[in-house]
Amino acid sequence: MSSPRPLSLLCELTYRCNLQCPYCYNPLNLRAYRNELSTEEWLCVLRQAAAMGIVQVHLSGGEPTLRTDLCRLVEGAASLGLYTNLITQGTFLDDALLDRLVESGLDHVQVSIQAPQTELADRIAGAAVHEQKAEAVRRVLGREVALTLNCVLHRLNHDTIEEVIGYAERAGVARLELANVQFYGWAFRNRLALLPTAEQVRHGEEVVAAARERLRGTMEIVYVLPDYFGDFPKPCMNGWGRQFLTVTPNGDVLPCPAAAAIASLHFENVRERELASIWSFSDSFERYRGTGWMPEPCRSCERKEVDWGGCRCQAFLLTGDAAATDPACSLSPHHSLMTSLRESAGKAELAARRP
Amino acid sequence: MKGDAVPRFGKGVKLRLDANGPAMLLVPETALELNESAAAALELVDGKRTLSEIVAAITQRFEVSATEAREHVDALFARLGERGFIRE
Repeated sequence: MSSPRPLSLLCELTYRCNLQCPYCYNPLNLRAYRNELSTEEWLCVLRQAAAMGIVQVHLSGGEPTLRTDLCRLVEGAASLGLYTNLITQGTFLDDALLDRLVESGLDHVQVSIQAPQTELADRIAGAAVHEQKAEAVRRVLGREVALTLNCVLHRLNHDTIEEVIGYAERAGVARLELANVQFYGWAFRNRLALLPTAEQVRHGEEVVAAARERLRGTMEIVYVLPDYFGDFPKPCMNGWGRQFLTVTPNGDVLPCPAAAAIASLHFENVRERELASIWSFSDSFERYRGTGWMPEPCRSCERKEVDWGGCRCQAFLLTGDAAATDPACSLSPHHSLMTSLRESAGKAELAARRP
Repeated sequence: MKGDAVPRFGKGVKLRLDANGPAMLLVPETALELNESAAAALELVDGKRTLSEIVAAITQRFEVSATEAREHVDALFARLGERGFIRE
């Protein structure tokens, strides 16, 4: 089939990070990604992306501010007319770096916190950084750049959801993302410890609905639903190879940031092949593009172009077959893998992310 | 928004006009596809023109009544204003 136009590129500049959050979606084998693309190689990726019609670039990681060439990459993207979004945990966002980033043309920053209280946040991050992050949020709000405050929700902090909203309100945040943890990478490894309870999820939905009503026009709250509690899967990436692509620190090109976990696929690298060619013709992008690859029950489902079969990575992680219907779907023959997980959750040890 | 208000884009909001595809409003973490009349109105948001001036230009360009143009622009700006994408 002819390939659609990609809109958005996620540049995972490095997997290095000074925090150890157990909900990180980065792969477990972080050391395999140490041969990072150079500044020139990233600038070349950005030029190719702009030529393909991509409009937005997300600079993420690991922690992207650990790249000393971050401002040059922002400047490079902005000069190509690309919208630039920095996804950071904020511990290195001092005045000098922020000023340089804004001068370089940065449009938007997403800063994440682990919880609204210092003690819990630092325990989840594995480092005493919450106060630094609060400073970073204040610094961003004082500049001509947009801010989204992000908090990943899971079993350990889900009960603080009201306080997260209160924290954002007091800080004067206009956009808050409350994202239930997605189980990939380190988060998948820690899923039994991180999966929220059904009661937490129900309570969270109530709190968000009430807060949205109360804060209409003041704060936008983006609520990312938890996968393990819905009847239908998320339309992951809005469909495989439809709008999004990810380049990992070493230049691998993925249809989804979690796709490296799919051992049955070979991913191509920007050091060896043009980005547009990988997008349009590579086996890894073509394999699950569109609906032709779908098995039953997806194939005859009226939602097949609504949720695109759900998530390939999740299908692989749970069933060993990336072409299976996402077990998050209640119609999946493997759906019990999800429901049984809900029952056994909460009793596991947490493994901190480390290289 | 009153007629003499000067609308401008919120932080992190950019209009992208593209000869090869639909106009888009680039906003934090997503892009909104725009139809022709929405793009035409947003193209006039420059931090200088008033709402009335924008409505007058739309009235002329699309050959509609001033009331229709005003309703159209009001609805567009209200929708975008709710998410902070347009501010006074």
